[in-house]
Amino acid sequence: MVDYQYIYDYYSNTPHLIKWVWWVSALLAISIIVLAVYLKFIRLSLRKKSNETAKFKSEYEALLVEYLYSGDESGKLTDSQKLIINRIKDSIKTPSKRKIIVSVLYNLMNEVSGEMSDSIKTFYYETGLIYYAFERLKSKKWNIIGKGISELRRFGIDEASHVIAPFINHPKSEVRSETHLYMVNLFLFEGLSFLDNLKAPLSEWIQIQLLETLQRFDNQEICDIRPWLKSENNSVVLFALKLAQIYNQFEVKETLMDLLAHENKEIRIETIDVLAHLYGIEAKEMLKTNFNDLSLEEQISFFKLLEKLVVPDDEPFVEAYLFHKNFEIQLLALKILKEINFDKYIGFTKSSNNNKSLAMVKAVKML
Amino acid sequence: MNKKKIVLAEDNSTLSLLLKFRLEKEGYELFVATDGKEALELIESQSPDLILSDIMMPFVSGLEVISHLRNKLNLSTPIIVFSSAGQEEMVLKAFNLGANDFMGKPFSPNELVIRIKRLIGT
Repeated sequence: MVDYQYIYDYYSNTPHLIKWVWWVSALLAISIIVLAVYLKFIRLSLRKKSNETAKFKSEYEALLVEYLYSGDESGKLTDSQKLIINRIKDSIKTPSKRKIIVSVLYNLMNEVSGEMSDSIKTFYYETGLIYYAFERLKSKKWNIIGKGISELRRFGIDEASHVIAPFINHPKSEVRSETHLYMVNLFLFEGLSFLDNLKAPLSEWIQIQLLETLQRFDNQEICDIRPWLKSENNSVVLFALKLAQIYNQFEVKETLMDLLAHENKEIRIETIDVLAHLYGIEAKEMLKTNFNDLSLEEQISFFKLLEKLVVPDDEPFVEAYLFHKNFEIQLLALKILKEINFDKYIGFTKSSNNNKSLAMVKAVKML
Repeated sequence: MNKKKIVLAEDNSTLSLLLKFRLEKEGYELFVATDGKEALELIESQSPDLILSDIMMPFVSGLEVISHLRNKLNLSTPIIVFSSAGQEEMVLKAFNLGANDFMGKPFSPNELVIRIKRLIGT
């Protein structure tokens, strides 16, 4: 039997600090027990939820497969297909079940093509899942709108374009990105028309995604990119420059020439690269003539271009910049000289008595 | 008459179910594995007539399955691999390791049936 009197006496005679420590220990012990029970409860509920999800998933997968194989050649819904659709219609009223069905549909849509993919799309329409996706677009929460657009894109619902188009300039970049991807995925190059009205910047990441999407399609007939090269939105101009380079837009030469005088330095530098890619020697001669009017970054960019397209006739031009005040230009000029006239380069290395120049000559030798 | 056996290694359960349904309708016996490790166990225990394998799978990839089959087990069982966009390099590796055919996702199950019939008959 526990001697309670002894415990009481011990506690009463204990200093306050020790009492306080006992209280804190008791409090911590209770907290640990409560948290352990809570953790156990969370784990149990999560496990239950995941079991239910797995159960519903396998149930819907079986129903979907049954639906896909119970169609006939007429293309009309058969009785058994109608029964399955009605069963699913009841289930999708619950958001969690709707989420599972959409994920099952999407998983399969990515893997199969042809008639089966069309049947999945019909299933999406007939069950009313499309209605819920449209409802998401009316939400006040930006993440819900984004998810709605993404779902409509993944299922290729092109009739949603008029409802999605107003999100082109949405304040949240995630919604804008989803809108841009929707437009290009469903309407290819025509979908790029959103660039006409784009006020917000087009991030580098979304530009890459758009280009990747465009390259996936067989039809590579690009529309006129000139309006975007003249856009007031700098990111649109930079994207159009990428399009010009990838799709070899030789016909936009005049517009590219105008861009050499653009107020944005990044655009001017990119334009030099595109001109070099499209017109090579022709662009080089033109830039050589205007070299002194270019900014330092543009001059460096031009020397990088010259490195690729150099011919012996460029020697006097290169020689003139061997003592340029900018290190990078000097280094590039030296490298080019070594490439086109090795004897002159050796002569230069022997005559050079400046420490800085000698260090650079050494660096070029190593290259 | 004995049904021809096919081992399907695919981590997408919906696609597995769809193909199982379709191929069983065509008269094949299907053994479904959700990853490469399970596929190897099924291959060793069932001695299938054909193997269908996704390239990207958890634990053991499709490439490792092919390599194990050709180099360790020394089996010449025909193999069809499934690949997604951007896995072209993997497809080349699969052929170098001994795969017989490939299908890029998304693919048509009807086309798959034709290819299977061409390789092992009905």
